[in-house]
Amino acid sequence: MRRAVGSVPLLLMLFFIGHAKETRYSPPGKPKLTSCRSPEKETFTCWWEPGSDGGLPTTYALYYRKENSDAVYECPDYHTAGENSCFFNKNDTSIWVNYNITVVATNALGSNFSDPVDVDVVYIVQPHTPENVTVTVMEDKDGPFLRVSWEPPRKADTRSGWITLIYELRVKLEGEEEWEEHRAGQQKMFNIFSLRSGGMYLVQVRCKPDHGFWSEWSSTTYIKVPDYFPRETSVWILIAVFSAFIFFILTWILNLKSNSVKHCLLPPVPGPKIKGFDKQLLKNGRSEEVFSALVVPGFPPTTSSDCEDLLVEYLEVYTPEEQELILEEGKDLQEGCLKSKGSPSDSDSGRGSCDSHTLLMEKCGEGEGKEEKHQERAQKGKRQQKHQTGWEEGDVSHTREDVLSPDMSEGRVKTWPSVFSPLPQYSSRPLDHQGSLETARQLCLSDSLFPPPSTSSHLSYNAKEGLALGSGQQEFYLGKKQTHPSNPQSQPRWHLQAHSDFNISSMDRKQAASGLQLPGFRSTEYVEVQRVNQEDMVILQPLFSSSCQRDGHLQIGQGEDYSKVKGVDSGNMLLLQREVEVKREEEDGDRYSCDIQDRVTESCYTTSTAASSQVTGKPTSCAGTAMPVQEEMVLAANGYVDAATMLL
Amino acid sequence: VRQKFYSTVWVAVLALVYLDFPIRVGTAAICAHGQECHAPSLADLFDRVIQQSSRVHGISSELHSDYEQYFFPSKNHIGKRKCHTYSILTPADKENAQRLGREELTEVILRLLGAWGDPLSQLHRSMTQDQNQDFNHYSSNKALEMSDMVHELRSGVTKVAEKMKLLGVISNALGYMSSPESLAPSSVSSSYERGDFNSIDHHDLLYCFRRDSNKVKNYLRILKCTTLPELDC
Repeated sequence: MRRAVGSVPLLLMLFFIGHAKETRYSPPGKPKLTSCRSPEKETFTCWWEPGSDGGLPTTYALYYRKENSDAVYECPDYHTAGENSCFFNKNDTSIWVNYNITVVATNALGSNFSDPVDVDVVYIVQPHTPENVTVTVMEDKDGPFLRVSWEPPRKADTRSGWITLIYELRVKLEGEEEWEEHRAGQQKMFNIFSLRSGGMYLVQVRCKPDHGFWSEWSSTTYIKVPDYFPRETSVWILIAVFSAFIFFILTWILNLKSNSVKHCLLPPVPGPKIKGFDKQLLKNGRSEEVFSALVVPGFPPTTSSDCEDLLVEYLEVYTPEEQELILEEGKDLQEGCLKSKGSPSDSDSGRGSCDSHTLLMEKCGEGEGKEEKHQERAQKGKRQQKHQTGWEEGDVSHTREDVLSPDMSEGRVKTWPSVFSPLPQYSSRPLDHQGSLETARQLCLSDSLFPPPSTSSHLSYNAKEGLALGSGQQEFYLGKKQTHPSNPQSQPRWHLQAHSDFNISSMDRKQAASGLQLPGFRSTEYVEVQRVNQEDMVILQPLFSSSCQRDGHLQIGQGEDYSKVKGVDSGNMLLLQREVEVKREEEDGDRYSCDIQDRVTESCYTTSTAASSQVTGKPTSCAGTAMPVQEEMVLAANGYVDAATMLL
Repeated sequence: VRQKFYSTVWVAVLALVYLDFPIRVGTAAICAHGQECHAPSLADLFDRVIQQSSRVHGISSELHSDYEQYFFPSKNHIGKRKCHTYSILTPADKENAQRLGREELTEVILRLLGAWGDPLSQLHRSMTQDQNQDFNHYSSNKALEMSDMVHELRSGVTKVAEKMKLLGVISNALGYMSSPESLAPSSVSSSYERGDFNSIDHHDLLYCFRRDSNKVKNYLRILKCTTLPELDC
């Protein structure tokens, strides 16, 4: 009815407007309902947006229809909520009822209906902002914190349970950009911790019904946190001070004991102890000069450019029949242990088992031949003999036979320390070709037990070049080649072969025969050169007289001790050095003490008997007539005398 | 041999039955250890039912919005739709609700919950049977959950009412308890009895249920806050 009444003036207006053609008027544009909101679920308001008014004064009307009813009603209140709004008061508001709302824009020319909108008040609740937001600073044992409290918006009736609100607050430091948000649920109070001392904080609160829209943020509340000293910082400061204190104490102590610390952490590097080796030169970095200082003028002999010079002479030493060299095969040789245990005097590097710079070899004292193993060794010795044949050239075969054949009659020099195994290739061409200098260098004579000096025993040594035997090879032939048919003029090669093949059995027999009992193994045995016979043979004899002592066996021969090879002179002469006898001592025990003065190193090594337990290498100072003749010797880099220099 | 078989089966059945009894008995006695059994307080009961009603409403809202997204029903339907609980008179504003009193409010709640038990099961059944839409599989689970929860909520509110009666908060003049099932309005329920739902029916049903669950939640809160005025209200 109202609608019909309202349309009459509309028609009249249209009639009038129809004549006004000169002005551009049009019916109004379509209005649009923008939103409807209820602040407390008891009233609600709808707003609309007017369309174009068409140049004419336009009126707007809102009409609504309730669910399941065909009655149309108009908005009861256009003014309370402002312009273009419709306010539904409590009486007109029904919850859980669907409202169908339409807005009509009307001007003289026409009207326009908006699209209808369905509204259920329960879903459009947007409360006001919370009120009475108060923030206070409270103290706690950990520091201050903020307590924020507020009240629900006035209109919202939470007390009766009609509406339930949940709250949210946000905090930030003054000057920051990001807010820190917290959900507070239904409670009306909240605590904020971990504050910055002296900071100014901004706090805001808002609320929302369980199904609805968030309210606006409340107005900002400012709060200043008083200055305080955070506990954590003080603890850290304490820790820092304490650590600094400890650190200073440690530094001071370290400073005091810097020397011992240095010694502990960085032990002094042993320097080279090669005579003629000038450290200063080395430091200067001129290697040529350093090595030139080591060069013995006589070597390599420049007179002969023949590489054969470098070959080791083959020195054969024969023992007369009546004398049997008793060589004991070192058990330790078999074992391949050849470290020179007895060289504690030096911490030099490069000391292998063959420390001796003389041609005398020392044996490692590890294994000690036991008498009970003699038989074993005999077997081994025989095997090794055969093996030896393999790598001996024909040249020396005969000499070898000399050496080999009389198993019983001849003893062999023993002991080549197996340390020589890593030597450069052992070339089985010992004679004619040059051995490399290195191989030549590697010659060491091992000591062997010497038969009792009552008989002038000659040991035959076959020296083979390149004593680079495998570790299993324990045989070395020390000897000089007896004949050198091919080239008599050529300097006989000096092959040192230490033949560790030790005929124990023969020894035993010989021992028995000679009434001597050699104790089992001696780690180091020295041979002394008795004489050089006319066949260019160096006759060696066991070094009883010089320094080795055996239990119960005193040296018989007190002859001059020429056990030291002084050098080889230009006339291919082996220069032997005489040494003063060292006083012997008799011991009941099983110990040997063999003192040999090392020419180069001036250290003495002691050997132990086979029966004895340990080899102790001890440098003892020998009465020294030993003269350093290093200059005449070519000293190998590893400290061994280059036997190649010894030429007969 | 057959005799033996049957006898073993019989023994097994007996054993199962025998074992079943203690289980059933066991479940009934929650506080069987001899410790003091404290029945939950009225406040606790209220909290529980309010929580549950909130959950129910949440699920119904989700389902409804899912349907709105998928099917975009025309808005005209809303005006024409009539929920089957239309006949249950419910207070439509705060004053009316407060004027109603606790007993009547409780009764209204129970009625509403009772009226929705069957339709929700039917909805679930219909959703599972409807093979057209994929999302029905996901929604049917929700419908099932909703249906179960409404049943639980109903028994919970019943307990609350009993507790209130016990405490003398409400009078014993409550006739609804005796026959809850008969109050379902029959006029509209016939359509549900047909069991012949389509998607539009689903949507309408969900719309109606969403609203009714909101009513239940609100009424419960009012009930709680008028019965036990506390800090929460």
